[in-house]
Amino acid sequence: MTLETDLPAEFLSQSATVAPDWDAVYAEQLPRVYNFFRYRLRDDAVAEDLTAATFEKAWRSRDSYRRDLAGFATWLLAIARNVATDHLRARRVHAPLEEAEEVRAPGSPEEDSARSSDGERLRTLLARLPDRERELIALKYGAGATNRAIAKLTGLSESNVGTIVHRVVETLRRDW
Amino acid sequence: MDDRFLNSLKRDPAPAFARQLKSRLHALEAPAVAEPRSPMWRWLATAASIAVLAFAFTLPAVRSAAEAFLDYFRVVNFAGVAFDPQRMAQLWSSSSVDLSTLIGEQVTPAAPPPPPVAYSTIEEASAAAGMTLHTPTWLPQGFTLTSIEVGGEHEFSVQGNTEKLQSVLDALGITDVTVPTALDGQTVSIKISPVAKLVYDDGQHQITLTQSRSPVIALPAGVDIASLADIGLRLLGLDRAEAYRFAQTIDWRSTLLVPVPAVTATFHQVEVGSGTGLVIENGRQVGPPGPVGSLVLWSNADTVYALGGLVRSTDTLQMAQSVQ
Repeated sequence: MTLETDLPAEFLSQSATVAPDWDAVYAEQLPRVYNFFRYRLRDDAVAEDLTAATFEKAWRSRDSYRRDLAGFATWLLAIARNVATDHLRARRVHAPLEEAEEVRAPGSPEEDSARSSDGERLRTLLARLPDRERELIALKYGAGATNRAIAKLTGLSESNVGTIVHRVVETLRRDW
Repeated sequence: MDDRFLNSLKRDPAPAFARQLKSRLHALEAPAVAEPRSPMWRWLATAASIAVLAFAFTLPAVRSAAEAFLDYFRVVNFAGVAFDPQRMAQLWSSSSVDLSTLIGEQVTPAAPPPPPVAYSTIEEASAAAGMTLHTPTWLPQGFTLTSIEVGGEHEFSVQGNTEKLQSVLDALGITDVTVPTALDGQTVSIKISPVAKLVYDDGQHQITLTQSRSPVIALPAGVDIASLADIGLRLLGLDRAEAYRFAQTIDWRSTLLVPVPAVTATFHQVEVGSGTGLVIENGRQVGPPGPVGSLVLWSNADTVYALGGLVRSTDTLQMAQSVQ
């Protein structure tokens, strides 16, 4: 399922003036946004908070989004990206120690013992990635976005997105 | 490429979280009522309309008819002029002037422009607007981009009516100004390029960045436009000497006059990018403090920007200066 084409057909066929079924849109998009934050950040509780913040912003502005519900997922992810950026920026200002914690050296004993599940192993590997690469992985695998949608969101070319994601996946698999 | 391991972090949101968030969203009111429009916000929102009205009275001086049939106006600079809102109230309450038809009945076409269209990315909106949209690299804490809209290009014309304009002057008791009769029946055409509106939201307030190519006003040569500018300034409340001084120092071909309510707002010029802009803030309050609101207007390379919201001018100005 791809981000731009997997909205239910009934949404895609609605005209710009017909109110969409926001409950169905919510059910469809909530897991994507939530997992984008899970991949993007370290803390599940923060992922829930930022998911809520994203949907509240989108909900308040929903009346301004009538053109193309197929692009709604991209619009929602654009909001999520900005919310994540704000959160990271604030954390860098207010909690530099936490930031240092997140990028500590790989392979430390406490890391190995504490993170036994695959999910936690992956989260540890993601934490070592540069910010831009981690965001691309979060969009691709957390939110399930296509390379084209990621290109629209980030301003990178589609081929550039594919190249970077491929290289990062290779690196992660080597360390897995 | 085997990338299945990259799905190992995926989880469904906790059902309790999903339910609670859904309830919170349903509890939120629709955007139009979620943030009640304060008088200041209404003023900010209508500032552009007021400025357009000012256009009609502050058109640039024409070159000689031998040079060209049409003369053009493009916004390069902004100049603030304080006006007394009570004068407008006086005008609205006047039984001899139907202000709602003063301009409206002379506008062709009378139909409103097509509604704006929402886009999901800046790139899409840039393509729709036919120009590269610029965005701020700095935002106040908590604000994120939540909406991108582009309004379509449209064009309309206004036909001069000396009788109606004279009735406005009469209603305000301005007796030392005469409306040039050559204005009657003359047509001024106004072309508005696509207008892009980016909305930034922190959950409580919104900041709106509007950008467009400069509107172009084409007017027939032969009309004494300088005297129209004088009339416009007098309508805004300037006395005869002030209006004359103002008229002498402004390049009417490229300066947009922005009326600012004198009692509730202040304005000053600022440097934005490589040009000069105008900051308006409701910093001069009479009575109880009102809501904070500010608006920054500036232009750069044939693009006109307006950035405003219910935030202090330090925020809007910093945002404006970061627009790239």
